Amino acid sequence: MVAALAVDPPLTAPVVDDQALIAATLAGRTEAFGELVTRYERAVYHLAVRTLRDRTEAEDAAQEAFFRAYRALATFRPGAKFSTWIFTICYRACCDRLAKRKRLSGDELPDRADPSAGPEALAERSDDAVRLHAAIDALPEKYRAVVTLYHLQGKQYEEIAAVLNLPLGTVKTHLFRAKEQLRKALSP
Amino acid sequence: MTHDDDFADLDRMLAALPLEEPPAGLRARIMTATVFRPEPAVRTWETWLVGTFVGLAAWLAWLLASAPNAGERFVDTTNRLIEAGGLNSITTVMWVGVGISAAWWISQLTFPSARRIRIR
Repeated sequence: MVAALAVDPPLTAPVVDDQALIAATLAGRTEAFGELVTRYERAVYHLAVRTLRDRTEAEDAAQEAFFRAYRALATFRPGAKFSTWIFTICYRACCDRLAKRKRLSGDELPDRADPSAGPEALAERSDDAVRLHAAIDALPEKYRAVVTLYHLQGKQYEEIAAVLNLPLGTVKTHLFRAKEQLRKALSP
Repeated sequence: MTHDDDFADLDRMLAALPLEEPPAGLRARIMTATVFRPEPAVRTWETWLVGTFVGLAAWLAWLLASAPNAGERFVDTTNRLIEAGGLNSITTVMWVGVGISAAWWISQLTFPSARRIRIR
């Protein structure tokens, strides 16, 4: 007698919320975690690139963030936002790397060689985007993180404060000062 | 006029800023490091357990070795055990060898399964 294969129902719903994907991952469905990776890979990588200013290291930090999240998935608090959680993990991974850099070099390295930001890659982007990216990269680390998360999460200051583990008022102050510096840097 | 109004243009620029494109192999790397990661051969608690036993065994061995006349006592105890087990007789040793050899050869034999597998 041939036993029927037990096939889980496919995740075909157009929008499966993150909580359902987490529950499915914990139940052993690998494709559910793959969907979470697909949703947040780009944003997590973006946060890592902007924080570390090094694409190779950012790739490692993004991978590390997903690895840490996967291992701690059972501790994820139901009702919390997965985006905030994964950004927090990613930001901490980046901070660890920045601290290591500081230990090795004595100070934060101002900029790293960015092989993918060559003339061709830059030409593909609009001038405004290039100038804005350069202006963000020139910000101090604490302002850079706030602006990057503001870009990723919109005006959800509470979420930004949770990721950076800062008081709400400090986040607003940092953002205001960061925007002032950006405006100054972008003004002709 | 609010701060938001002051930065309206900057906000628009930020909103239009494209996210960094991740490298092509990043997703595969993440999946390999997470859901497709093979289970470790030995778990952490198993390593600790084995380590504890090895440590205890080493400590006991050191205690025995550092006892006065340890060498002589070891030889004496071994001889007494050999006598008690009858291993000082060549015939006994030979039959024990035959038994171990037979057990090993039997463990290597394979037998065809009595049940036939029906292929559809």
